[in-house]
Amino acid sequence: MGDLFRSQEMTLCQLFLQAEAAYACVSELGELGLVQFRDLKPDTNAFQRKFVNEIRRCDEMERKLRYLEKEIRKDGIPILDTGDNPEAPNPREMVDLEATLEKLENELREVNAYAESLKKNFLELTELKHILRKTQTFFEEALHDQHMTEEAVGLMTEEGMMAGGQAAGLRLQSVAGVILRERLPAFERMLWRVCRGNVFLKQAEIDTALEDPATGDKVLKSVFIIFFQGEQLKTRVKKICEGFRATLYPCPDSQAERREMAISVMTRIEDLNTVLNTTVDHRMRVLMAAAKNLRLWFIKVGKIKAIYHTLNMFNVEATNKCLIAEAWCAVDDLDKIHLALRRGTERAGSSIPPILNRMSTREMPPTYFRVNKLTSGFQSIIDAYGVASYREANPSPFAIVTFPFLFAVMYGDFGHGTLMFLAALWMVLREKQLAPTAKLSEIWATFFNGRYIILMMGAFSIYTGLIYNDCFSRSVNIFGSGWSVRGQFNQSLTPDQIRTQVRGIESLQLNPNDAQAKAWRANPYPFGLDPVWQVSGNKITFTNSIKMKTSVVLGVIHMLFGVFVSLTNHLHRRDMLSVVGEFVPQVLFLLGMFGYLVILILYKWAVYSGRNSNCAPNLLIGLINMFLFRYDKATNGCPPIYTGYQGLQTFLVLLIIPCAPWMLLVKPLILRRRQQMLARGGAMMGQQQPQPQMQPDAGVDGGDQTELGMGSSRMAATISMTAIRLSIWEPDMGITERRWTSVRCSCTRPSTRSSTA
Amino acid sequence: MFSESMFSVDAGYLEGLARGFKGGILKKTDYYNLTQCETLEDLKLHLQSTDYGHFLANEAGPLTVSVIEERLKEKLIIEFNHLRTQATGYLAEFMDYITYSYMIDNVVLLLSGILHDRPIKEMLAKCHPMGTFEQMEAIHIATTTRELYDAVLVDTPLAPYFADCINEEDLNEMNIEIIRNTLYKAYLEDFSAFCQQIGGTTAEVMQEVLAFEADRRAFMITINSFGTELLKEDRKKLYPACGRLYPGGLEMLAQAEEVEQVKLVADYFAEYRVMFEDDGTGMDKTLEDKFFEHEVRLNVRAFMQQFHYGVFYSLVKLKEQEIRNIIWIAECVSQRHRAKIEAYIPILE
Repeated sequence: MGDLFRSQEMTLCQLFLQAEAAYACVSELGELGLVQFRDLKPDTNAFQRKFVNEIRRCDEMERKLRYLEKEIRKDGIPILDTGDNPEAPNPREMVDLEATLEKLENELREVNAYAESLKKNFLELTELKHILRKTQTFFEEALHDQHMTEEAVGLMTEEGMMAGGQAAGLRLQSVAGVILRERLPAFERMLWRVCRGNVFLKQAEIDTALEDPATGDKVLKSVFIIFFQGEQLKTRVKKICEGFRATLYPCPDSQAERREMAISVMTRIEDLNTVLNTTVDHRMRVLMAAAKNLRLWFIKVGKIKAIYHTLNMFNVEATNKCLIAEAWCAVDDLDKIHLALRRGTERAGSSIPPILNRMSTREMPPTYFRVNKLTSGFQSIIDAYGVASYREANPSPFAIVTFPFLFAVMYGDFGHGTLMFLAALWMVLREKQLAPTAKLSEIWATFFNGRYIILMMGAFSIYTGLIYNDCFSRSVNIFGSGWSVRGQFNQSLTPDQIRTQVRGIESLQLNPNDAQAKAWRANPYPFGLDPVWQVSGNKITFTNSIKMKTSVVLGVIHMLFGVFVSLTNHLHRRDMLSVVGEFVPQVLFLLGMFGYLVILILYKWAVYSGRNSNCAPNLLIGLINMFLFRYDKATNGCPPIYTGYQGLQTFLVLLIIPCAPWMLLVKPLILRRRQQMLARGGAMMGQQQPQPQMQPDAGVDGGDQTELGMGSSRMAATISMTAIRLSIWEPDMGITERRWTSVRCSCTRPSTRSSTA
Repeated sequence: MFSESMFSVDAGYLEGLARGFKGGILKKTDYYNLTQCETLEDLKLHLQSTDYGHFLANEAGPLTVSVIEERLKEKLIIEFNHLRTQATGYLAEFMDYITYSYMIDNVVLLLSGILHDRPIKEMLAKCHPMGTFEQMEAIHIATTTRELYDAVLVDTPLAPYFADCINEEDLNEMNIEIIRNTLYKAYLEDFSAFCQQIGGTTAEVMQEVLAFEADRRAFMITINSFGTELLKEDRKKLYPACGRLYPGGLEMLAQAEEVEQVKLVADYFAEYRVMFEDDGTGMDKTLEDKFFEHEVRLNVRAFMQQFHYGVFYSLVKLKEQEIRNIIWIAECVSQRHRAKIEAYIPILE
């Protein structure tokens, strides 16, 4: 608790590490993860640092590993993940690792190159096979289809006439090939345009997808055959084919030749297949062996790289024997760091122990909270709003209670809360097994990381749900209601008879003031809301009123608490100006306006009952009138809320009004005054005094504008938060009610509960 | 006003992305560090600490400038396509317009390659990946502009721009330059009209950027035409008519016969006058560099306004300038020619 409220005490350390032991020491510190190194050479380029070559070697190894990983994934081989975390290898081992990876990469590249050429060959043969098969059908069609031959003949004669009667000597030539299917339409169009329609293109799709040897992707292709006449057209057609990356294959004209060719192609494909299979097997073996170690290699290389990156941030001592580092660490962890450094020196076999000095600095230390798995979730919520500065009060220990509680105040349902609680409990109990799955999906990770928050929210929702008497938005009658309809019926009737009679009646009124009916049994429901309200017609009016008032009470307490937490900050920093200029007007403002409202609410609850409810004042109107100094004389014969309330209220308003300028102006003006004094003092002494705003660690925080902004935003926040709290319940209740109505009406429409309404 | 308030419905996310990408543009200190590099490996190491991250991490073996260039362009393309695939409506069309200028460059590059009998594979590698189109590789079947149009360009978005330069002449050096400039003229005018059609801040911002682009072309055409066979009447036809020079300035430019006369024309326009002036710092920047600097200024300014498409255009142009800068520095580093390494165009402070 104390740890979480104020961040860890930090210290800046200077480390002197022996050049030969530095690597091992940083490695040990890295495993520990308790120090934050500072970059001592922020102006130096990445490539001008000492260990740039080592980092380059690591980059190279990572590239090889990525290549291996890509190939392994391509073949769908599982990568072994044992979950163990190897230590960073020694620099000497790095050379071995490099050699291993180099060898693997070369082997793989060799195998791949070989496989690629084989696959290319295979692709060509397969394409040829398809061409022969498809063209067979083309030619057969051409033989049988009368129309087609006519067209061909017509083409020939036309061409023949142009050539001046030499038709007899001309015959149709053809080119056959394979093209990517998506390029076919453009190809066809261009052919037609360039050859002015004097070619005949026939195409057929290859049903099976072929593998591109270079990328390994599956591509869809089409077989085409083009008939044309004359050499000029031939060169053009060939140029277009080239332009569209179509591969051309020789296709014999006669059927017998084609058949012969097809047979030889088939045998060659089979031969190739066997060779290809052994190559693929070899590749598999290589990759399988690599897959076993891949993860470890990745971690090792990553660690080496991280160590050298860290070493690059160090200063090198003049004699080159020693590296000087600066790092932030928590004071409590110094022993552990000493120990780690000693281990590192022993590992490196160095005789001179490393030196660790604490340095004093004026710089603002980093904020470090020691969190555990329960508090980490809450801390991250707080961090999303803003990280506390060093040793500043941290709201998260309080948020562990207030956040789930305020959620539950809104959610407030016993049934849903139980479901939520159980779901979170399941995650908490099985967190060891579930932890690895959290990496897989972002949405699931959100829930899983927030499991303790959900658990708390569920637990608090059960509590508030019981108070609201809401279980899946229905009330539960556990202790028996404090109200009764019995008095309105004949006393001789049995309860069953009354029940049947009640069903027939449209509405019944339960008036606590009606002594004869005895509707009010005078024993209140022991815990939470009386279930009779569930069936009452004015349920919403009643519960809204009570929830609104409760939430105002809770909200004002919450806000007041926050202001007091900020007081601890001011006191911690011994900043009396903030106490006087911020805290006091804030408290007066809050208490004078809303604190008074809270007292009125409690007073109204205590004093007004069913008997004198017609005299109960409207607090909201009352609050508004208080600021307008308007006090109506006409009270309908009711006594005032309490005697002398006018005087007190006038006093409060007069107290609140000066708070606003006090909050807004006092502190900034004093700060400005101080700065002016400082500047004047500096000018008089003839020194080049740096501007206080420019100093990052200047004691004077912020400028006038920020103070002004903070003051006004605080005031706006106070008012708007209260307004929000007032309005938040209404939609929530409305939805619950409508939901049940719709369920009753249709019984089909699914609906979800909107908890944040 | 209305279009601005509805802007974010369709393009708000993409504008956010574009501004994010702009945030990754190298700053002055980055360039300073880059110019300190001794080898390309150093360059790679420094780029790793910028938004480029590990874009070179998977390159085996010795690094070359061309590999760096390829990867830089690839990164730009990936970012651009990421934006383009999610864009809808006007924005999608607008982003297509951006690619057209690269298409024009590619067409012209391929044509000149054909003219000099270079293998098409080699030329394709040099093409800017932003301007690739399907029929590009078959361009070498064309020998005249008519064939080029009929066979290749008719299916591309460039077809309407090409209508003005169809004739039966064989392709030659001069021809190709005319094609380039005619296409550009038509493209700029069309793009400018399209931006006006979108209206609002987009029109306002793009008007300025495109007007400068048009004027720059007009100046460069004029200056480059001196000493060639290009006739004045033909030259006049190449000036894009959507810049600030239009119409008076263009008339005068059309009459110019030497650089001095071009300067006289520029004198009428405050922002162009400074480009032709000797700034007296002793650093003799070329006119081209000054134009580039001005372009960068305009494009950076485009980011000052919100709710318009101009940021996408400017992003591409700024990124392109950044690629040019990095390549320049990389070339200087690899050729150990450090004297001119400072001659890059800084983009952001």
